[in-house]
Amino acid sequence: MTKEEIIAKVNPLLAEEFEVEESDITPDAVIYDTLELDSLSLVDLVAVIEHTFKVKIPAADLPTVKTFADLYNYIESHQA
Amino acid sequence: MPQRNPIVMVDKILDAEGDVAHTGLTVTDRNYFLEEDGRMAEPGLIEHIAQSASAFKGHKALLAGEPLPIGYIGEVKKFHCYVRPAVGDELTTTVTLGAEVNGVTLMTGETRCGEVLVADTQMKIFVE
Repeated sequence: MTKEEIIAKVNPLLAEEFEVEESDITPDAVIYDTLELDSLSLVDLVAVIEHTFKVKIPAADLPTVKTFADLYNYIESHQA
Repeated sequence: MPQRNPIVMVDKILDAEGDVAHTGLTVTDRNYFLEEDGRMAEPGLIEHIAQSASAFKGHKALLAGEPLPIGYIGEVKKFHCYVRPAVGDELTTTVTLGAEVNGVTLMTGETRCGEVLVADTQMKIFVE
């Protein structure tokens, strides 16, 4: 899956799951703030990415995934 | 989750493999959540499913030689109660563990009485 295909899939998915405007999801936006995550909803993000892209984000890697651009790159580089 | 009397809502783990376990509960006339109509209140099913997940996590910890964790219900989502169980009903619950991040585990639970679907839900269990 190309980066563009990943973005086209991730943005509407997260907009629906976390009930935010898709337009708020921009590459430089901080995921935690945009999706209003907390310790409980963080696991939903990991579950959605794991279910959709078969990419598992270990807790140890989460600090490196701050912005949506980081997320796209992480998915792209960890695809099977 | 006070899996202690009087709120013991799991009798046994029937089996456990990978991220899926089955637990059992017989509804007795002493069940803490029974209402006047002799049926279990919906919160009892939430507690039963949560204790099933916690029992499964405890089972995994025992197998790994780790201390028994204490589990807390972090969040209940999409809970449906289709039938309130009655005294004498034998409940079987399927617990499926999902993603886990920093001690918070996503899980789904589905309770049946024989072939009849009794309840299902999604939960987040925080394990200390």
